[in-house]
Amino acid sequence: MTNQTQRAARSGMSIDIDKCTGCGACMVACAVENNIPPAPETANDRKGITWIRVYKVDNHLAYPERRTAFVPVLCQQCGHDTPCAHVCPQQAVDVDPATGIVGQMPERCLGCRYCMVACPYHARYFNWWDPKWPAGMERTLNPDVAPRMRGVVEKCNFCHGRWHAAQQKAAAAGKREIDAADYVPACVEACPTGALRFGDLNDSTTEVAQEAQRPESFRLLEKLGTEPKIHYRSRRDWVREIASAPRPEGKDWLRG
Amino acid sequence: MTTTRRNLFKFAGGGAAGALLTPAPWRLITDTALWSENWPGIPRPARGEIRARFTHCTLCPAGCAVRARCVNGQPVSLAGVKPHPISNGALCPWGIAGHHLPYHPERLRKGPVQEATAAVARAISQRGAGECVAVLDLRPGRTASLTYRRAMASIENGIYLAPRQPAYAVDLAAARTVVSFGAPLFDGWGTPGNVFAARDHFRLIQVEPVETRTGALSDVWLPIRPGTEAAIASALAGDMTIAEAARATGVEEEAIGAVKEAADRGSTVVVASDPGSPLMSLNAKLGALKHTVVARRESPVPDAWKKAAPVTEIAAAADGAIRVLLIDESLPGGYVPWREIEPKLAANAVVAVFTSTSQGYARRAQYVLPAPVYPEVAEDVGPAIDTVAAVFRVAAPLVAPLVPVVNPAGFVAQIAGLPPGDPLRERADAIHQTGRGTLLSYADGKSTPVKEVAADDFWKTLNQGGCWMDDAGKKSAPSGFGWPVTWPTRHDDLPLAVVAAEFNRGGLASPLMSKLERESNLRMAANHVVLSPADAHASGIENGSPCLLETACGRMNAAATIDPGVPAGVVEVAGGPRMAELCGANPRARVVRA
Repeated sequence: MTNQTQRAARSGMSIDIDKCTGCGACMVACAVENNIPPAPETANDRKGITWIRVYKVDNHLAYPERRTAFVPVLCQQCGHDTPCAHVCPQQAVDVDPATGIVGQMPERCLGCRYCMVACPYHARYFNWWDPKWPAGMERTLNPDVAPRMRGVVEKCNFCHGRWHAAQQKAAAAGKREIDAADYVPACVEACPTGALRFGDLNDSTTEVAQEAQRPESFRLLEKLGTEPKIHYRSRRDWVREIASAPRPEGKDWLRG
Repeated sequence: MTTTRRNLFKFAGGGAAGALLTPAPWRLITDTALWSENWPGIPRPARGEIRARFTHCTLCPAGCAVRARCVNGQPVSLAGVKPHPISNGALCPWGIAGHHLPYHPERLRKGPVQEATAAVARAISQRGAGECVAVLDLRPGRTASLTYRRAMASIENGIYLAPRQPAYAVDLAAARTVVSFGAPLFDGWGTPGNVFAARDHFRLIQVEPVETRTGALSDVWLPIRPGTEAAIASALAGDMTIAEAARATGVEEEAIGAVKEAADRGSTVVVASDPGSPLMSLNAKLGALKHTVVARRESPVPDAWKKAAPVTEIAAAADGAIRVLLIDESLPGGYVPWREIEPKLAANAVVAVFTSTSQGYARRAQYVLPAPVYPEVAEDVGPAIDTVAAVFRVAAPLVAPLVPVVNPAGFVAQIAGLPPGDPLRERADAIHQTGRGTLLSYADGKSTPVKEVAADDFWKTLNQGGCWMDDAGKKSAPSGFGWPVTWPTRHDDLPLAVVAAEFNRGGLASPLMSKLERESNLRMAANHVVLSPADAHASGIENGSPCLLETACGRMNAAATIDPGVPAGVVEVAGGPRMAELCGANPRARVVRA
């Protein structure tokens, strides 16, 4: 048991905001990978489902001092006192001790949305509609991920389907631990600038662990003590300061 | 103990209350949730053999290499190909969801093919003296484009029309300073993977009135007044003093001076939002020609194809002379506003468009014919602006066409009576015969000299995941970069300068693009305008209220947003074909309350 604890990974991400162009490739790749349907015409930014959402934030100054940045926000995979897990009456949220990944089980979810209220990062999404794809597009669904029903909450799980696939591959090769190259979330794979990196924060040899230690690295709402496993970094002071805001603020139309 | 009616009720009531304290009802609720997951309305993903297939994205000239994860042959996700030397494993959001296009609910699914064929043939045979047949190709540089040119050469008075294409390539890898006049360098300008691979080695100076995605990540942003790019260019060329440029643009002298100093250090390249802009001529003044701006090299073609119609810009065609116009709008590309096309048509002109959507030219043509969409058809991709070496990339189809479609090049070839054949194979054979370059195979990442590959294997690899890249030859200077240039006349008849702050390629896009638009507002929707508080106040427009964008060419209903980050005198919009129709060469507008 002790050995297992020592070997436990702490999967996390490092996001270089100074490289993010806000293209949205991560958001689309996530939706493709996790069978997230396109929202109906009536959807807006409050009802849409985006397990990873890129916010356009700015320094609140007027032209020409205005500067903008793009901040991808996903489930921060809180490592301590995970708020959503604490409040779930159905135990539909759990933290995998082997990986540190906060999982969501839609089969158990009652749709009470306590977890959405508890999440300080607005990284959980409620299924307001039945999952529907345009006729024929169901053929393009990922067979490794089950679509969720209306009335449940869902969120980023670091592409759990990919983790399973990597585990199966490792098991087939007679190994107990997965090869890091075999398990990369879809958003990280899709990022054309390399702004997103994924790895084991407990392994000091990984890029993500080293980047998390850099002086310009920060985490969102670190003061809450939830120990998020998503580490951001930026050389711009005003970008680092937004980490203490309740939600990245942007143009009014960002809020629908 | 006697069993009374009262005791029976008490027992039942007590039992029901006690049951609430057991796990049973909660278990029941959980099981109900489990059952609801299997409602018949929830689709079940198909299972089957999983394997990777390779192709190239045709949604823009970048032609990024694509690895498709297929289940029983059906692509379920697309990703970049890591070992590719140009695309470097990157795909844009449109490319990542490209496999959804065949199922798009707004896709054109049928069209009057027989009637169009008959009408075009009749019009060609009955056309009068001086009347011509034309093909308008929105994506020149492909093998299909050569088919059009050959077809037009074989028809009397046939002309091949295409939007102005740059005859140069930009070598970003050789650049140390990039001066960008509003070019969306990080948002669709060139090949994403190539741009980002070179990014760490050059300093980016973005010259534009509003801070776009590219401006946000530039090293220096020069927030100039709209329409004053020529002043910055003249200052960099030494034709204007820095003080004069500062007065004209509203940018501080120190900032312009620092940019001039950086540009004068060498290894500089100038890029512009319009690749044909006179601003590009600044490259001649800064010594970029033959170094960072080079002549484009073309892939070899069969000798029999040398007899091809030249590329003609629409403005060069005679007014009222086009009797038959065939428009290939099957792939998004350069858009020619209809008002430039209309005067060139004869009174009884027949216009047919090959497209996958009912938007665009489909609103103007008599015959709208359904074209295949990516990734349904074998196609090659022309060179991107940042591709220096000649390349040949085949986009092998991943799915069969879902609806009856017309191959535009096949249609034109048939009308012109070209001999049947497989132009892609013929061109591949012509490339192979030269023995030049290398063949890159995506499955194993191997590069093999073409001399060592058999013709059949060359063709097979191109179709199963590979590309041909020409040898790195000697760089040569492109033509048409004279200095000084004549700057276009500015029109200030309308109060606001229209600035496209968002890249929009037009055509069909995956329904999942809703994630970037209405589900998150990450990208500006086509019917949005953003105004400064001063301009909004002057027009009586409130934040979020409906408004009208009026230009010299038309008007558009939109929703207004007020943003202090937008300078006064500017209206920020999403670019694309619709804006090209509305603004054209005079991007000025007025915004009024709806």
